[in-house]
Amino acid sequence: MSLLRDVRAVRAGWRWGGVRPATWAAAAPGLPEPSTNLDWARQEPIRSLRWALQRGLAVPFARAVTGLHVEGADWLRDQERPVLLVSNHVSHADTVVLLAALPDRARERTVVGAAADYFYGRPWLGRVVSLWLNTFPFARHGGAQAVLHSSSQLLKSGWNLLIYPEGTRSLDGRMGEFLPGVGHLANETRSPVVPMHVRGTHRVMPKGRRFFMPAPVDVRIGRPLERRQGEGSRAFTRRVEDAVRDLGRGSDEPRVVGDWIERWRASAHPRRASAR
Amino acid sequence: MGRPGAVIEIDRNTPPVLFHYGEGVRLERLPLGSRVVYAPDPIEPVAHPERAIRRALAHPVEDDPLKALLRPDMRLTIAFDDLSLPLPPMAQPDVRQLVLEEVIEMAAEAGVEDVHLVAANSLHRRMTEDEIRHIVGDRIFSTFYPDHLYNHDAEDPEGNVLIGTTSRGEEVTLSKRAAESDLLVYVNLTFVPMDGGHKSLATGLGSYRSVRAHHTVDTLLHSRSYFHPPDSALHHSCIRQGQLIEDTVRCFHIETSVNNHSFPAIANFMQKRETDWTPADQAAFLAVKQLTDLAPADVKRAVFHSMRAPYGLTAVHAGQVDAVHDRILETVNRQMLVEVEGQTDIVTIGIPYLGPYNVNAIMNPVLVVCMGLGYLFNTYRGRPVVREGGVVILSHPCRNEFDSVQHPSYVDFYDEVLSDTLNPAEIETRYEKCFAEDPWYRQLYRRSHAYHGVHPFYAWYWAAHAMQHVGDVIVVGGERETVHHLGFKCATTLEDALEMAEQTVGRYPSVTHLRLPPLFVADVK
Repeated sequence: MSLLRDVRAVRAGWRWGGVRPATWAAAAPGLPEPSTNLDWARQEPIRSLRWALQRGLAVPFARAVTGLHVEGADWLRDQERPVLLVSNHVSHADTVVLLAALPDRARERTVVGAAADYFYGRPWLGRVVSLWLNTFPFARHGGAQAVLHSSSQLLKSGWNLLIYPEGTRSLDGRMGEFLPGVGHLANETRSPVVPMHVRGTHRVMPKGRRFFMPAPVDVRIGRPLERRQGEGSRAFTRRVEDAVRDLGRGSDEPRVVGDWIERWRASAHPRRASAR
Repeated sequence: MGRPGAVIEIDRNTPPVLFHYGEGVRLERLPLGSRVVYAPDPIEPVAHPERAIRRALAHPVEDDPLKALLRPDMRLTIAFDDLSLPLPPMAQPDVRQLVLEEVIEMAAEAGVEDVHLVAANSLHRRMTEDEIRHIVGDRIFSTFYPDHLYNHDAEDPEGNVLIGTTSRGEEVTLSKRAAESDLLVYVNLTFVPMDGGHKSLATGLGSYRSVRAHHTVDTLLHSRSYFHPPDSALHHSCIRQGQLIEDTVRCFHIETSVNNHSFPAIANFMQKRETDWTPADQAAFLAVKQLTDLAPADVKRAVFHSMRAPYGLTAVHAGQVDAVHDRILETVNRQMLVEVEGQTDIVTIGIPYLGPYNVNAIMNPVLVVCMGLGYLFNTYRGRPVVREGGVVILSHPCRNEFDSVQHPSYVDFYDEVLSDTLNPAEIETRYEKCFAEDPWYRQLYRRSHAYHGVHPFYAWYWAAHAMQHVGDVIVVGGERETVHHLGFKCATTLEDALEMAEQTVGRYPSVTHLRLPPLFVADVK
């Protein structure tokens, strides 16, 4: 009854096609142009629906269950270019937690690489995760060229890409070796790579379990890395892997010692520092 | 260029009007001929905030450039406003972060070694790590927290000093660190005309001893209103205190203002006038209404409190406190003022889920009074929108719920003090000192995240002017017992409330609905 009453009340203000004041300020710029990747999950109204689901449900839930502690979100604040987000992988909870850790603007334009054989083997599951987390099928075995091509298309059309270069979840929380696709992608698209490290999600939802358990989670986001002149894809992949390991190691100790001026300078954003 | 604020008259074609209802919303039909006052559209933000900030620091008003004031061997204290504004909190980056980063960058270039950042939270609760991090950003937080970035402790006997007494006998205390600094930089966010200027420093880094000088029933009764500083005894007192501080410490004031873009895209319908609602806005309203009708209170609260507003920086000025504040007020008034012709018999106000003192907490009944009769009633200059002896109708669930961590003294204030008397002056005389000096509240303020023991008194005094001015207060949809405990009347529906109000103001009353937030100040002619 309450719904009917509300619909009636709203109906009173219904103005299909009527003249509407056109002076309302245009939406603030922020969202990139629609992706040229024509996958339905990246188009309206799915984008808006996902935005509402993530902001209203997934992010508050992830924060409530994990007491999420995020360090380094500032690195993503000024990123105008699409970036490759790279993280260690220990749990299915990683994606939700990492998305919750991103600044709103970065989250809205982030696509997640999801194991094609695991999530997209069953069409309904693929659709649900695509809607919920903005995933796209990322083949772990074979077909590397096709995957790299579709990934680079996403990056080139303005989407950030979150991938787990270990290729699978760790059983014991230890990080595995990164597959070299990260370096290839960064090389091809010239995108900066943002190392991320998530700790604690193996307690929230370890491999094999299908439900969440509350546990504290820390996410650390590192300084964006760019490929150096002459640096090969594999060497760059190793550097990214080291950066993620460093983020994981540094949780209990300050990253930089010295007086505040040294710490401040060490944390300068590369773009802003060079602008000065 | 956005539209200015507007007063529209309800006719047969006017859609129902949005009323905030705590962590919920309602659409209500007002009687034909009623007026609805809408805030102006958000004014255009500055295109390059960082550039504007750098320019303000390099070309201050009636002061030297900040760079010229910095030297390596100095003690530099940078204070900034706490989380009580803006409301809802600003989406990152907060403008305070942008300003602080520029100031700190300059301090680093000048080689200033001794730098402290202090959140000027006065008698408000200590902010949590995450709340501080949200305001200052990751980079500042990881560089300074916790040793050189912290909350002001107004109850630290070693950390506060008495710096003098004003010509009117008002004591002025200040954080010792600030008082002994070679330069005190204050980073201000002026959200409404009440904020900013001397008030920020005099209260933000003061203690109970200095705040009690102006947070009195008498002063607040002579502040008509707080949103128009020239007519506010509270602000006059703060100015006297602030001038004394300026005579004691070298101050450099940086003040910013933001527009009133208060809601993110998902809640855009709250920002817009109902006549502007698109089908998407109408659908969003329906979805929010149904969800808030059904969802448990905790879930609603978590969702509402996670909202971050996409405010835009509209002005930034630096330099001497008064000169800077005058310029900022021009911009703030440009954003907020709405001309309203004459007073009205009945004013209706929907109380939103959030006020300055319940960020990440329940809005308890005392805060409902503070928000409705303290803040929203006072959003006027000239005369109140409601005539003397008129009726204020508030809409809020007004449940007997308190956040035990943030508002412990509020619980006792509600149970013990309000059970005895509702008269602000009597409450002040008989109870204030006892709560203000209670060692347990003091402990909770200093070590936990509780508001100071005296805070519920101030929240109540804040409403003293409205209580004296109006003939009746009716709360629509409130919990009956709680509303009666506060001394008000309770109604189930707006229609009932209007009927009840007629008993006070007579038949065929004039009705004005203040459709806020987004906030505005009614310039009543």
